[in-house]
Amino acid sequence: MITLPEFLSVALILGASLFLAWLTAPYLVRVYKRVPGRLDRVLNPVEKGVYKLAGVDEEHRMGWKEYFLAGLCVNIVQMVIAYLILVFQGSLPLNPQGFPGLSWDLAFNTVISFGTNTNLQHYAGEVTLSYLSQMTAIQFLQFTSAATGICMGVAMVRGFIVGSKDMGNFYVDFVRTLTRILIPFCLVAAVVLVALGVPQTLSGYTTVTTVEGASRSILVGPVASLVSIMQLGTNGGGYYGANAAYPFMNPSPLSDVFEIGLMLLLPTALIFVFGELLGKKRETRPILIGAYGLFIIDLGIAFIPNAPAVGQGIETRIGGFMSVFWTVVTTAVTTGSVNTTLSAMHPLVILAAFMGMLIQSTPGGKGVGLMYMVMYIVITVFIVGLMSGRTPEYLGIKITSRDVKLVMLAFLIHPIIILIPTVLAYASGAAAAIGVNGAPIGFTQILYEFTSAASNNGSDFLGTAANTPFFNVATAVVIFLGRYGPIAILMALGGSMIGRARTAVSGLRTDSITFSLVLIGSILILVVLTFFPFLVLGPIQSYFQGSVNGFG
Amino acid sequence: METSKRKSNYRPIIVVSLISLIVCGLFFPLLVTGIAQALFPYQANGELRQLDGRNVGSELIAQSFNSSEFFQPRLANESASGVDPDITQADALSQIPGISNATGGRVSVSALTSIVDSNVEGTFWIFGSPYVDVLNLNLILINDYPSVYQNFTG
Repeated sequence: MITLPEFLSVALILGASLFLAWLTAPYLVRVYKRVPGRLDRVLNPVEKGVYKLAGVDEEHRMGWKEYFLAGLCVNIVQMVIAYLILVFQGSLPLNPQGFPGLSWDLAFNTVISFGTNTNLQHYAGEVTLSYLSQMTAIQFLQFTSAATGICMGVAMVRGFIVGSKDMGNFYVDFVRTLTRILIPFCLVAAVVLVALGVPQTLSGYTTVTTVEGASRSILVGPVASLVSIMQLGTNGGGYYGANAAYPFMNPSPLSDVFEIGLMLLLPTALIFVFGELLGKKRETRPILIGAYGLFIIDLGIAFIPNAPAVGQGIETRIGGFMSVFWTVVTTAVTTGSVNTTLSAMHPLVILAAFMGMLIQSTPGGKGVGLMYMVMYIVITVFIVGLMSGRTPEYLGIKITSRDVKLVMLAFLIHPIIILIPTVLAYASGAAAAIGVNGAPIGFTQILYEFTSAASNNGSDFLGTAANTPFFNVATAVVIFLGRYGPIAILMALGGSMIGRARTAVSGLRTDSITFSLVLIGSILILVVLTFFPFLVLGPIQSYFQGSVNGFG
Repeated sequence: METSKRKSNYRPIIVVSLISLIVCGLFFPLLVTGIAQALFPYQANGELRQLDGRNVGSELIAQSFNSSEFFQPRLANESASGVDPDITQADALSQIPGISNATGGRVSVSALTSIVDSNVEGTFWIFGSPYVDVLNLNLILINDYPSVYQNFTG
């Protein structure tokens, strides 16, 4: 159970994040509406220079297909660049530790994982990646995948705006997301992180002679710049294998709270952006209540058992309670960074983590979480329409059978790419080959691996143990389909809204509290019905067997 | 007509990718490095602590202490990182009688208790629970009791 100070600290962090997100949202709206502002004097010449060099026509408008394909192609080219850097890092500069290039399958997994904002890691960065790779493969993809996610989310919303004729211009949105949001925000965050104790240097690992005379390497590098975008961009991939449990990534309770706030900021701000872009602020309500309502249900599940004491798998400065809280937040916003060992977590905490990853909009990753919530709203509107016998409509637009087919297709991608590979991992012997059995704890680890991959989360139990060709290729394929499949379908949904007739809203208003509660209910029923048998074999069975953590 | 249209599509894809590589992958981390080294050199270089002018380790990374005259960090496989630099205040207090004994009583229990209590970190307002940094405590011991710890200086 949760104590009063613990309850207050959670309430304070969530309250502050909501407030800051609400403050940030109008600025984000101005960026995407291209409203002139004070930064233009500095940034306009820079952006225009980029457009000129790239041959981008700023005034060109794109439909959903062109917008999506531009994003997909840019992402693929970026992954190819990062792949080459990882494979040839041994011959490239900024490699003071002299690390060799990565194997093809590990590099393939890593670039797909980071290029899609997933950040599942089958390597430990501190003994694998050169400074150049950490910067120009990892941090680079963390920025660009985060920007792509936000752009797709914003573009889909544009399709729903009354009188809209297009989805915008991907290149313009992408460049402005970097120059006006991610880079300036991350710059401030990175400097704060350094002040809190996160290293930022390029001078190589420092060798010291300890107090008792032993020789020891201190593994410093460009860490703060990575942590800033890893959290703000809900990426989650760490500089070190131990991620935010490693003291250099998260040196104190204060940095812990700061990093939690960073990952909540943009996904929450985009909820407010939704209503403001539409010009119907009240339509933010079901998304906000839905996302945070489900988030609080997840937290409630995770806080039923007592938080672990400082013991196996828990860092002293972070403590058990903040380890549990971080684990729920990082899956609720699909960041995937961890400040603990997942095996130290109670089965109910793992269950809450699964819920976050399976729902994907509590509030989910920035941009994509919003897209999923619109998907759930359309499904719910359809269900409510069936129950009340009225034509389903959202924002005054009639929901057609094609729309329902699209959202159901988007929803069904997940179960297919999570459940089939999980079974394959056992059937092919790949799970046994890395010493994972079919008992509840082992099954949880494999199911978690593919759930994390499909939902582009990135937290995992297996870590470097999964650096085998099967897991590298299987998770890469799942990650790719889990990212671009639903985005393409939901962009198609948004695109198909352009030019549709609007009627005066009749029936159940989607901006009502009643609808918000029905939305929460239908999301829970959909997700629970789909995944329940698998969750029973994993964390739920562990719970009823009396396990208090995953150490066996 | 079709080919010329396609060709013009490659350029933005390639150029935008390359520019974002340079800006996000090089310019940004280098800018942060410059600012960090100028404003917060101690933190930016890993919070290195010194003894007699030499670097003996980072305040954020645990190092082993074999001598029983020192506070002991957690075993490497106990924590999530394997390099947890801290122990709980309660753990530190429980180690005090053993440390005092090992020094032949030259460092008293009450002195050790006050060193631990005055170096507690980790709480701010309602967040966190009290802990102490092991390297920090042991460096204080060496500094305060040079004759007891003379093997480790000079």
